[in-house]
Amino acid sequence: MCWLCEKYGDSEGGRWYLNPENYARRLYKVRKATEEASGADADPQSAGMGAGAIAELIKARIAEDPEWEKEVRDEALEHAYQTHFAQVVTVDEFMQILDTAYPLVKMTCGCRRVQRGMPDEENFTCMGIGPGMYKWERWPETYRGGVEFMTPEEAKEWALINHKQGRVQTIDVFGTPYIGGLCQCEYPGCVAVRNRVDYDFKFLLKGHSVAKVDRDKCTGCKSCLNRCQFKALNLEVYTNKAYIDLDTCFGCGLCATACPVDAINLLDRESLPGLANNW
Amino acid sequence: MRDMIAQINIDYDLCQDPLVCRGCLTVCPTVVFVCGPTKIWKFRETDTKEYKVVARYIDKCSGCGDCEKACPTGALKLGFISRAELRDRFRAERAAKLAAQQIQE
Repeated sequence: MCWLCEKYGDSEGGRWYLNPENYARRLYKVRKATEEASGADADPQSAGMGAGAIAELIKARIAEDPEWEKEVRDEALEHAYQTHFAQVVTVDEFMQILDTAYPLVKMTCGCRRVQRGMPDEENFTCMGIGPGMYKWERWPETYRGGVEFMTPEEAKEWALINHKQGRVQTIDVFGTPYIGGLCQCEYPGCVAVRNRVDYDFKFLLKGHSVAKVDRDKCTGCKSCLNRCQFKALNLEVYTNKAYIDLDTCFGCGLCATACPVDAINLLDRESLPGLANNW
Repeated sequence: MRDMIAQINIDYDLCQDPLVCRGCLTVCPTVVFVCGPTKIWKFRETDTKEYKVVARYIDKCSGCGDCEKACPTGALKLGFISRAELRDRFRAERAAKLAAQQIQE
């Protein structure tokens, strides 16, 4: 079983991020009044998740020193899983979360500012949730431009637009197991997606679902082809069917909802012995 | 595995307001650059002038040179170094760090 569900799931064995307790106000911790920090790496969010670790991991790779690489990875992830990490969810789960958490806000995407310098006013794709949103002014350096409060209906409409446009939806943990953010991401603009795809840095965990092609139903129409942000999907040209690499699939479901004939099914990762625990 | 790795030097006296300029950040085909705040202030937004561009994902750089052309102040210089040379340099850095740690213990 998924270690997060085991520890933070409800008593019925449900998925941990659908457990309302993990959105509860009592879990929300006001960030400690630390001194004003110096340097982009002083705050893990300021220059992207695991920023310092990735810089060192790249060095270790160039040095061809697997022991060094493992050390950086293990240390950074141990810290991340206690404090700040993310996991892919499906759009249906995303909607359920929008029914659970409150308040809901739209805010700037820190990643695309960091990686592409996108102006914050053009970049309000992330969502913040929960009591922290009343206190956004405590970390204005991260969420430049403030927050825009939304009703649950507005938030769902916004989430659907993002899903249609092709962004992967994730939950973001701020002090495990408190879920305080919902990202709508893409490769390579999203630091979490990028670092996972290019460096296998498991700050971003795969989702509980995995997408499988029904080869009888697939017509080879290619509607799904540009949807995958994880390089897991291509067309088998000779058989004219979509092909999904199940080991690489993150289970976001972007390909499944683009299919006009329902030829892509989302399966429960843990029901497949070959894929269970491939987070 | 590539033979050559990019060495991207940015002269911060010339590169002043990277989030407003965005030259290299926008054009890079492999998203080599990141731009983060140099100081975290409490209770106010950072000024764009307090941001700094660094070439983080140097192992992704193809050497196309678009960043150098896009830089309006000539602050950015792109060069290449052999992977083997950089490997030895990073190994030496690591060895020195581990040795220093052992002395402390």
